[in-house]
Amino acid sequence: MTPTPFELKQLGPNHLGIVWSDGHQSLFNVRNLRLKCRCANCVDEWTREQILKEESVPSDIRPRKIESVGRYALKVLWSDGHDSGFYTFEHLRNLCECPLCKSR
Amino acid sequence: MIFKSKSPNINQETVLEKLRLVQDPDLRKDIVSLGFVKQLKIEGAKVSFQVELTTPACPVKEQLKAQCEEVVKSIKGVETVEVTMTANVRPGTTQSNRIALPSVKNVIAIASGKGGVGKSTVTINLSMALAAEGARVGLLDADIYGPSVPLMMGTVDAKPESKDKRVIPIERSGVKMMSMGYLIPPGEPVVWRGPMVHGALTQFLNQVEWGDLDYLLIDMPPGTGDAQLTISQSAPLSGAIIVTTPQEVSLIDARKGLKMFQNVKVPILGVIENMSGFVCGHCQEVTPIFRQGGGQKIAQEAGVELLGTIPLDPKLAETSDLGHPMVLSNPDSEVSNRYRQMARQIAARLSVMSLQNGGSFKPLSMEWQS
Repeated sequence: MTPTPFELKQLGPNHLGIVWSDGHQSLFNVRNLRLKCRCANCVDEWTREQILKEESVPSDIRPRKIESVGRYALKVLWSDGHDSGFYTFEHLRNLCECPLCKSR
Repeated sequence: MIFKSKSPNINQETVLEKLRLVQDPDLRKDIVSLGFVKQLKIEGAKVSFQVELTTPACPVKEQLKAQCEEVVKSIKGVETVEVTMTANVRPGTTQSNRIALPSVKNVIAIASGKGGVGKSTVTINLSMALAAEGARVGLLDADIYGPSVPLMMGTVDAKPESKDKRVIPIERSGVKMMSMGYLIPPGEPVVWRGPMVHGALTQFLNQVEWGDLDYLLIDMPPGTGDAQLTISQSAPLSGAIIVTTPQEVSLIDARKGLKMFQNVKVPILGVIENMSGFVCGHCQEVTPIFRQGGGQKIAQEAGVELLGTIPLDPKLAETSDLGHPMVLSNPDSEVSNRYRQMARQIAARLSVMSLQNGGSFKPLSMEWQS
């Protein structure tokens, strides 16, 4: 079974921490998370081509609100108004930037 | 003082110690550790107490009651034992701090993938069976294009009223219901694109005055599209039930429905096989019109439970069309009996899940501090 996020923590101005049900502690730079959005406005639904341009995302982008979607994903409302992206738990876990996951 | 000399051994501890011998077979713990024993009173040679179960639809209610009486009676000096069975349904695994449906303890989706396998019939009879056990039950008809709950519940002419911008559900035999069928003139088609369906379902979840419910059953439309996505994302589902007929053409869609719920991490409570053979009214021979064993097969493949099978009974079609659900109108029939058994099993599964994994899933929400 895929682990589920158990706790969300803001770590400083631009890092998000997630404690998972299996005990793992994830770390994310919030701008990197915004760049990895897979919604239909950011990634073409059919070709999977990247539509979102890195330079179009403000360097000081922040989440405004993060909340659960059903039992399988998190949704982020960003400071630039973008809110259509869901981050499934699998996707989130794959994006983890903690030293342990990064070294894999 | 007379009583004391007559029954020197009866005190609370002795009684509780004996009651520790009684186990809840689903939760696999004794009823004292589970905190089920309430209001224990000893008056002379009479012992009375309440046993508060996790669902009024407990499959072993009578058995537990008999065991309690037996063990307490075995204490020296006890002459009468009075056991009252009550219930307090535990909130499902998604109930804590959620926004949608805050006063509903368990939300259950009943889905099939394929149309015409009897989802609505199953949902209606399960809801009636749960209500008959004393649970507070709601029924949401999520089939926006083809609502069948109003007809099958005998409430076609009902029009919901609204109060303070909240819609009051229609009630029949203790079940609160909402359906698109109550909001449009009978016979009128709903010709809508997906976003409208999403809007209607969101309103059904958030703007209907469901009140305090133990179980809200959602009768899902066929398919894996807009309605399914909205419900999976917006309704705090405790679990899903898959309905199928035994034949392969139904199983292929049922597998997809099942997979969809697994993808969105909703626990599967089990599979119900409907139209499972026809019993001849004259010779009782069973004719497997739609083949055999399909429900078992799909349950096994997915590693979930087969909750039960429902045979084809012409009475079922008749009672549905007339708006008199089988469980209510023919409570002594084999079909009604099976519905009651399945309802108890579902209630028991939800109680087990709630007590075992209560902490493993909770909806999250945070505001970012700038």
